Amino acid sequence: MTTPLLSLDEATIKFGGLTAVNKVSFDIERGDLFGLIGPNGAGKTTCFNLITGVYKPTSGKILFKGSEIGGTPPNRIAEKGICRTFQNIRLFPSLSVVENVMVGAFLRHKTNIFSAFLYLPGAIRETEQFRAQAMALLEVVDLADVALARAADLPYGKQRRLEIARAMATQPDLLLLDEPAAGMNPQEKEELHLVVRRIRDEFQKTVLLIEHDMRFVMGLCEKIVVLDHGEEIAAGPPEAIRNDPKVIEAYLGEAV
Amino acid sequence: MKIWVVRILSIIGTLVAVFGFEFFMRGLVAQDQSLDYIYRLAVLAGLFVTLAVSLNLINGITGQFSIGHASFYMVGAYAGATLTNSLYKIQPLGPETWLFVVALGGAVAAGIAGLIVGLHSLRLKGDYLAIVTLGFGEIIRIIVFNQPFLGGSFGLNIADKNDKSLWAVLLLAILCIAVCRNLCQTPHGLAFLAVREDEVASSAMGVNVTRVKVTAFIVGSAFAGAAGALLGVYDGLITPDTFRMDVSFLILTMVVLGGTGSITGSVIAALLLFSIPEWPRFMVEGGKPWQVTGATLLAGAICLIVSVYLVKRTIDEYHGPQRTKTLRIVGIVGGGIIGTVLLGTVFGLIPVLANRTWDVGALRMVFLAVTLIVLMLIRPQGIFGHEEFGWQKAMKALRFGKPGANPT
Amino acid sequence: MDVLLSPLAGLQMDFGALPQQLVNGILIGSIYALIALGYTMVYGVLRLINFAHGEVFMIGCYAALFTSWAMGFTATGMQAAKPPTSNIVTLLIMLFVSMAVCSLVGVTIERFAYRPMRNQSRIASLITAIGVSLLLQFGGQLFLPPLQQNIQAEVNPFRDTISLTLRQAPASLKQEFKTASLAQKAAEERLAELAPPGALTSELSPEALEVRERLSELTIKSNSLRAQVNDASVFVVIQKGKLIMFAAALVLMIILRHIVLKTATGRAMRAVNHDFQSASLMGVNVNRVITYTFMIGSALAGAGAMMNSTFEGTAITPFAGVALGVKAFVAAVLGGIGNIPGAVLGGILMGVAESLVVWVGLSGYKDAIAFVILIVILLFRPGGLLGSSAVEKV
Repeated sequence: MTTPLLSLDEATIKFGGLTAVNKVSFDIERGDLFGLIGPNGAGKTTCFNLITGVYKPTSGKILFKGSEIGGTPPNRIAEKGICRTFQNIRLFPSLSVVENVMVGAFLRHKTNIFSAFLYLPGAIRETEQFRAQAMALLEVVDLADVALARAADLPYGKQRRLEIARAMATQPDLLLLDEPAAGMNPQEKEELHLVVRRIRDEFQKTVLLIEHDMRFVMGLCEKIVVLDHGEEIAAGPPEAIRNDPKVIEAYLGEAV
Repeated sequence: MKIWVVRILSIIGTLVAVFGFEFFMRGLVAQDQSLDYIYRLAVLAGLFVTLAVSLNLINGITGQFSIGHASFYMVGAYAGATLTNSLYKIQPLGPETWLFVVALGGAVAAGIAGLIVGLHSLRLKGDYLAIVTLGFGEIIRIIVFNQPFLGGSFGLNIADKNDKSLWAVLLLAILCIAVCRNLCQTPHGLAFLAVREDEVASSAMGVNVTRVKVTAFIVGSAFAGAAGALLGVYDGLITPDTFRMDVSFLILTMVVLGGTGSITGSVIAALLLFSIPEWPRFMVEGGKPWQVTGATLLAGAICLIVSVYLVKRTIDEYHGPQRTKTLRIVGIVGGGIIGTVLLGTVFGLIPVLANRTWDVGALRMVFLAVTLIVLMLIRPQGIFGHEEFGWQKAMKALRFGKPGANPT
Repeated sequence: MDVLLSPLAGLQMDFGALPQQLVNGILIGSIYALIALGYTMVYGVLRLINFAHGEVFMIGCYAALFTSWAMGFTATGMQAAKPPTSNIVTLLIMLFVSMAVCSLVGVTIERFAYRPMRNQSRIASLITAIGVSLLLQFGGQLFLPPLQQNIQAEVNPFRDTISLTLRQAPASLKQEFKTASLAQKAAEERLAELAPPGALTSELSPEALEVRERLSELTIKSNSLRAQVNDASVFVVIQKGKLIMFAAALVLMIILRHIVLKTATGRAMRAVNHDFQSASLMGVNVNRVITYTFMIGSALAGAGAMMNSTFEGTAITPFAGVALGVKAFVAAVLGGIGNIPGAVLGGILMGVAESLVVWVGLSGYKDAIAFVILIVILLFRPGGLLGSSAVEKV
C-alpha cells in the first residue's frame, strides 16, 4: 500500500472550551482533486490552518508524505511542499503582481543574503530566473498583461487568481485553496475551474479546496469530505455526497 | 564578466567622487578656518543619511515599527570610542585604516544590540514594538549616564580623534544605500517587503519571518552603529545627550517623510530635515543674525495656516487638470508669501508686535516642527510614497526582462 | 560585567524608610495616573499615541503659574508690605484655569493637526503628533519666560505636615533619650548662667569651662540617642497639600468613571473605543466623541499639571512635559493602553516603582525603571496588566 500524500488521523483542535475540529480523518492521494465542504463555521478553514501550521493540533496526527507535520511552523511546512491561498485574500498589496509571485519562489533560493547585499552575479541570475518563472506562472493564470500593476489595484477575481499563482510558485506537492471562487461571477468561476484543472492535469499537483458553491465543487472535485460543527459527517465521491441524508440535513434549505 | 567591468568602474567612480569631495572640502577649510563648520555639516549630513537609510531598512522595508534608532547610534559611538581609547596607541595601522576598524567595531556592537531588540520584535507588533524600541534606547542611555568609566553625563573623550574623516562617512552612507538598494532588487529583498505587507501570508509562502526580522534589525542597527563610531572619532567627544529620544524621532521622521520603504526618499528627507535647522545659521548680515519681529511671526503664522488649509483643500478636492491644480497651488503659496509681507507691515504698526524681536537662529527648531506638520498634512504618504525616484521606476520598467543591467 | 554591576555595590535597604518611600510613590503616582488617563483615552478612540499630551501638561503648568502671578503671587508680590494670602479658593481658581486652558489646547490640537490626518496611516498621524510636540516645546521656548520657574511656595496654604508613627521605639530607649535631653538642657541653662553669651574662652571661669565640656558630651550622647530612636521607630511624614492632591486626583478619577460609565457621551466613547467603524455606522457622532475625549483627557492633564507644580513644587520649563509625558505614557501602556482603570493602576505602580528604585539607592536609574518594567510586562503580557491582546484571525 502506498502512503497517502496527506493524511489526517483524528486531528482535533480546541480553543478554550470550543472544539473547532473534532477527530477529523481523511487521506489525500497524489493527484487527487479533493473538496472540503460544509456550512459556515464547520471548521474548514481551521482544518487548513492545522495543515499549514498556523495552529498546532490539540491531539491527533497530520502526516505529510508519511511524516508528522502537526505543529511545525508555517514556513517549514511550505518548504516541505504544502502551500495555500487565503479565504480573505492576503496578497502583498503594494508589491507588483510579478513580485508577489516571486515571493512565492523565494523559498527555493540558493544564494545567501550577502550575495543579495552585494548584488553578486549569482543573486542577479537567481532574480532573473525567478522572474522568468513567475512570468510563466502568470501566463497560466492569465495575468501576464498586468504583471507590473500593483496587486492592490487588481480587480477581485484577478486577485484570487494571483493568489493561486503565488502559491504555485512555491512548487508545492499539495495546493490548498480556501474558497477560491468566493465572490466571483459565473464567467470568472468558469475560468477558475479551467485553471484548477490545468494545475492538476498539466502540473501534476494535488489540490485540496474549500468551497461554498456546491455546483463548482461537484463539477470539479473527485472526492469530497463534508464537515459540520467540526465533525466529519460524510466522505466520498460527489454523487454519494449529493444523496447523503446527513449532508442534506446540514445544508437544509440549500440546493445540493 | 560585463557585470564586473561595470561594477569595478562604478566603484572607482564612487571613490574618485568621494575623495574629490574630501579634498575640495579640505581645501575650503585650509583657505578659511571659519568654514570648518561646513565640513562638519557635510559629515553630519552623511551620518544622518546613513541613519535614515538604515532605519528605513527596519521600518520602511521590513515594516517593523522601531522608534529607538538613536540607541544603536549611541552603542556604536561608545563602542568605537572605547575601542579607540584602548587600542589606538598600540595598533600598527594608520589613522585612515583605523577608521575602518572603528566603524566595524561600532557596527558589531550595535549589531548585537540590534539582535537583542530584534528578538523582541518576534513577539510584539506595531505600537508595542515601537514602545519597546524607544524604551530600550532610554535604558541604554541612562545606563551609560551612570557609568563613570564611560564618562557619565560629562561624556567620553576620544584622545585620538580624526577630524578629516568625511570620506569615510560618505563611503559608509553610499555603502548603506547600495546594500539596501541591492537587497530590494533580489528575491531576498522581496521577502523583506513581503513581511512588511503581510506576515501570515509571507510565512505561508515559506518566508522565515523570524530570520527576516532579525536580519533587518541586525543590519539596520549595524549601519547606525558604524555611523555612531565615525561620529565619535570625528568629534572627539560623545555625551549621552547627543543620543536623546528626539534624535530617534528625527530619524524616524526622515524615513516617514521620505516615504516609508523608499530609499531615495529617505536620503532626500534626511538631507532636507537635517539642513532645515541649519539654514538660519546662514541668515547673517554684517556678523549679526537676522532679526524677526513679532509682527512678522504673527503674520507668517496666520498666512501659513490659511495657505496650508487652501493647499490641502486643492489637493483633496480639486479634480481638474493637473496643470491648473499645480498653478493653483503655486498661486496659493505665492499669495501666502505676499500676504505675509502685507500683513506683517500692517502688524508692524502695533508697537507691542514691532518691538519684540528674536534671532532667526532661535527659531530653527520651530521651523523644523512647522515643516514636519505642514508636510505631513499636505503629503501624508511621504515625499515618494513607497516608490523610488520617478526616472528610476521608468528605468525599471524598461529593464524588465533584460538580465544583468545596472549594477551598483 | 564588574563595571556594569558596580552601582549595585552601593545598594542600601533601610526598611525603616520604606513606608515613607511607598507613600511618596503612591502620591506622585496619582499625578502620573491623571496624565496617563489622557494618553489612554486618546489611544482608545483613535489608536494614536498623542505625543503632544506631555506638552499639554507643560502648558497646564504655565497656566497655573500665570494664574498665580495674576493673583499677586510673584516674587516681588511676596515681598510687598501686604503679601497676598492663599486659601482653597485660590487653588480652585488655579485648578479651573489650568484645566480650561488645557482642554482648549487639546481640542485645538485635535481639530487642526490630528483630524485632517484621520484617514491617513497611523504612522503619519504619529509624526504629526511628534511635530506638534516639538512645536509646542520650542515655540514655548520662544514665548514663555526664559528661565525655569517655580510657583511661589506660599500659594500652597497646606504646607504643614502630618506625621504618622507606624512603630514606636522601645520605651526604655525613649526614656533614656528623654533623660539625656533633660540633662543636656540643664547643662545649657547652667552654662548660660555662668557665662554671658558671646563671651571669649579666656574670660570664662574654670567651672564654666567644665560645664561647657560636659555640655558637648551630653549633646553628642543625646544626638546619638535621637538617631537610635528614629531608627527604631517607623513613621511617615506627609505634607497636607499632597494628601489634598491625592484626594483631588481620586475625585477626578471617580468623576471620569462616572462620565464614562453613566453618561451618553461615555457610552459613545466606549463604543468608539470598541470599534470605530461600527460606532460611526450606528450613528455615534465620532467627531464629537473625539473632541470630548481630548477635552477630558487634556483637562485631567491640566489638573495634574497644576497640582504637580503647586504641591510637589516641581520646576516649570518648556520641556517639563517631555519626561513626565513619557513616564505617564509608559504607565498607560503598563496598565494596558486604551484601558481606563489600567492607566490608574499603571500610574500608581510607576510612582511606587520609581520611589523603590530611589529607596535602594539607585536614584540615577530612576528614569530607566519605567522602561525596564515596561519591557518585562510587554514580553510576558503584551496587552498590559489589564488589557487584552487580540489574536489575529487568519
